[in-house]
Amino acid sequence: MRADPEMRSLGWSTGAFLGAVLLHAAHAPAWTLAVALICAAWALAARVRGLRLPPRQVKWALALALAIAVIATFHTLNGLAAGTVLLIVMGSVKLLEADTRRDRLTLICAALFLLVAACLREQSLAYAPLYAGEAWLACAALAVVAHPGSALGSVGAGRLAVRSLLLALPLALVGFLFFPRLSGSLWALPPASEATTGIGDTMTPGSISDLIESSAPAFRVWFEGKPPPLEERYWRGPVLDAFDGDTWSRPLPWWLFAPPHAAASASEPYRYRVTLEPTSRRWWFALDTLAASPDRAARLTSDHVLVGLRPLTAPVSFRALSYGRFVDPSPLPMYERHHDTHLPPGRNPRSVALARRLRAGAASDEQFVRTVLERFRTGGFRYSLTPPELDRDSVDDFLFGTRVGFCGHFASAFALLMRAGGVPARVVTGYLGGEWNRLGGYLIVRQSDAHAWVEVWLEGAGWIRVDPTIAAAPERLRHGVGDLMPNALSAPQRLLLDVRWLATLRDAWDAANAWWTTTVIDFNLPSQLALLEHLGFRAPQVGELGWALALGLILWLAAAAFQLGRIPRAAPREPLVRAYERLCRKLARAGFARRAHEGPLAYAESLARASPPLAAIAAPLLAGYARLRFGPVPASGRAERIAAFERAVARLKLTRRSRSARASRGT
Amino acid sequence: MRRALERAFARWARRRQGEDHLPVRLKMRRLYVLPTRAGLVFGALVLGMLIAALNYANSLALLLTCLLGGLALVAMYSAHRNLLELEVLSAGTTPAFAGERAEIALTLANDSRLARFSLELEAAAAAAGFVDLAPHSSARIRIAVPAPRRGVLRVERLRLSTSHPFGLFRAWTWVHLPLALIVYPRPHGARTLPTIEGQADGRTRARAAEEDEWLGLRPFRDGDSPRQVAWKAYARGSPLLVKEYAASAAPERIFDFERLPGLDTEARLEQLARWVVDAAARGERFALLLPGFALEAHEGAVQRERALAALALHGLAPSERRGVTRAR
Repeated sequence: MRADPEMRSLGWSTGAFLGAVLLHAAHAPAWTLAVALICAAWALAARVRGLRLPPRQVKWALALALAIAVIATFHTLNGLAAGTVLLIVMGSVKLLEADTRRDRLTLICAALFLLVAACLREQSLAYAPLYAGEAWLACAALAVVAHPGSALGSVGAGRLAVRSLLLALPLALVGFLFFPRLSGSLWALPPASEATTGIGDTMTPGSISDLIESSAPAFRVWFEGKPPPLEERYWRGPVLDAFDGDTWSRPLPWWLFAPPHAAASASEPYRYRVTLEPTSRRWWFALDTLAASPDRAARLTSDHVLVGLRPLTAPVSFRALSYGRFVDPSPLPMYERHHDTHLPPGRNPRSVALARRLRAGAASDEQFVRTVLERFRTGGFRYSLTPPELDRDSVDDFLFGTRVGFCGHFASAFALLMRAGGVPARVVTGYLGGEWNRLGGYLIVRQSDAHAWVEVWLEGAGWIRVDPTIAAAPERLRHGVGDLMPNALSAPQRLLLDVRWLATLRDAWDAANAWWTTTVIDFNLPSQLALLEHLGFRAPQVGELGWALALGLILWLAAAAFQLGRIPRAAPREPLVRAYERLCRKLARAGFARRAHEGPLAYAESLARASPPLAAIAAPLLAGYARLRFGPVPASGRAERIAAFERAVARLKLTRRSRSARASRGT
Repeated sequence: MRRALERAFARWARRRQGEDHLPVRLKMRRLYVLPTRAGLVFGALVLGMLIAALNYANSLALLLTCLLGGLALVAMYSAHRNLLELEVLSAGTTPAFAGERAEIALTLANDSRLARFSLELEAAAAAAGFVDLAPHSSARIRIAVPAPRRGVLRVERLRLSTSHPFGLFRAWTWVHLPLALIVYPRPHGARTLPTIEGQADGRTRARAAEEDEWLGLRPFRDGDSPRQVAWKAYARGSPLLVKEYAASAAPERIFDFERLPGLDTEARLEQLARWVVDAAARGERFALLLPGFALEAHEGAVQRERALAALALHGLAPSERRGVTRAR
């Protein structure tokens, strides 16, 4: 028995809408999901069990209340997040009155909008199959809602959706590859949501430990040529040059907006390509140290920090050129020296006193740096991700008390000692190391590789990188934090690292993600033009994209038209019928076509009336056919008799009749 | 405005295609495709998505948008293909009384390996009829056309269409068959049936048939009742024969147009229709006399149909009767 068409139509449209809502399950407030589920259950129960739906006024009141609740949650109805949630709750109310075809189409449109909103929010590879599934669901629902009573049925609609989407896929690819991308945006994008991952704008000694627990990728790097050695894999992020006693921050003094000093590079550059994962922050990460900004969408400040013009809401790729060492022989301006040696008065007195004593005993700044580093190396410091709480004067407590900490503690303490000794110093945050993915041939840097180090100014050499963490715990350079601190990782994370085939699987999954990010997500105008050039266009412009698009479209339409010309006809007929059809064609060519209503015997009779000589030849054949097809023929001799009939038809030769004879039969 | 455009388009198509002769095979050049209202909304939706995807420079959203745009083209292609190479084998009509609905039924044949879904037949002011066709099958598709006035109802144009699969595009063809539907006068009038003439004993025809004198068999003629056919003889291989009885003595009523004073023509026709329907319902023999037309006394469904058709066509000019085939 077939399901009730109304029920089927309601079920599919509700399913398509709910599927789209569930795509937002990770981000939308839980109560909106509850509203959607309750409304769906109610609507279906109303149809199946005859439960009463709320009256019109109640529905209006409900819609109004839900809209107010959305405003109360987001303080706006504008923007992606609030708009999405509003669409979810309004669609849910619509579920309660999805009585007509138009209502159900509205639900499917809402589902498609929610699907696009999900794409705008989350583009990772893991979500792609879910999006494809939802597209299929909406497509099948469209077919069911358009013709609920058709013999197609639910299974047929599902199959039809698969087939149609596969047919549309070539068009989708052509559009995706060749539709010209905008270089800017049409309207101001809404402010990005609060940053969730990545290195922040400030650093307190303990702040990095949250990051280290996350194995989410920060960025991936493809090197052209040899990758740098381990001790040079410092990925430079924000430089923090102001210290208030607890926290290092970046107050952005005016000179930072100047382009970096032209300085002599002291080593061969590394060439590489980076794909940054979105963080909703503006920091871009590149190998220490960049000489110039590699991309128009980012600016290099004078302290060699790469800052994006907009927060990273989508993955970004860029090619860059970095030097392992820089030499900057010019003197440090007074204001910068003042800024970079400033310490909050009265904080950490013991450390300041220690630094002054050590500086007094050192012959030069350089020797002072070495002395302090030596102290970190031999001072009984221990690396731990779970250090004890520190007092108000955190550096004093760390240096003279606990002596347990990780990169944040070491960098903070070292920079303070430098400044107290009169050496300009600043904290640099970023990442250290990375993990080589052999399958993809790239370096993946995870949030757990987050690191902080120090730069000191040495007259005649410029800013020099010093990493006190490595001095205290040299193994950090060689191993990731996970190897160093197995207890810092959760059990599944450890499992992924320890079991070999799981680790390979993880590499493969990450390589797939990298491919997805670089070739699909980050496919932009330059990639399009590069593709055109690859296809043989010389110096392609945006205009050529239009041509390519049109060409693809025309090719698809031509293929479709070709396919229309070959509608699969009747199944191959049996030989007897084929021979009969051939006989009829021959007679038709002779001027006496069989009429649609004539059987073989009636045909013979009408031939006899119209042309006795022709009938004398054809009538026995027609009668033979009628006997073979409809008469009692013993099965044993049938095949031979059919073959004989075929031969007789093949031998038949008829001359073309004059037009007048044909006309006379017509009357 | 929209109606006027549609009419102009239909007229252009009529000139272009000419009149159709059965069987009609739906070839590419007579199929038209346009987006439906839902299709236009869908197009606007895709456009909105496109703008959002471009603005956010979001590749996945753009891919999805292109996929949905492609889906619309697939819908257009599939709708066209759903009608292509179908065959209209025959067109039948069922007469109706004025004020009721007359039925048109097309027999559609699908000799391809494609299943055809949600085919719709429409004519002016008629609700659509739906049918699905499995591969290698045929089916009838029916619509009921309102028949407001007695006479001949001409349906110049039938629209066979489909919006399968997604309801985004509608493919259609116009079939121009010379369909002339007979519309009987509305059976209406309060006058009593004229008295039975011939035998006055009031025997009913049903009893008379059993007692009638057997005359013999004669060849079947158009209009003979199937009940009178000698089916047993036919089953043995003889041609269609009809059993004949001596019916001269059977009672009959005479319905005479001239014997209805005080009514205008239409009212008379309606009264006559009332009588014909009533007499036929009782299984009585009756004759019909119209100016310039006489129907011999007879009984049964065929007699009823002939009489009603004569009433329907009464007073119509020959040009108005064109194309009307008398009932079986």
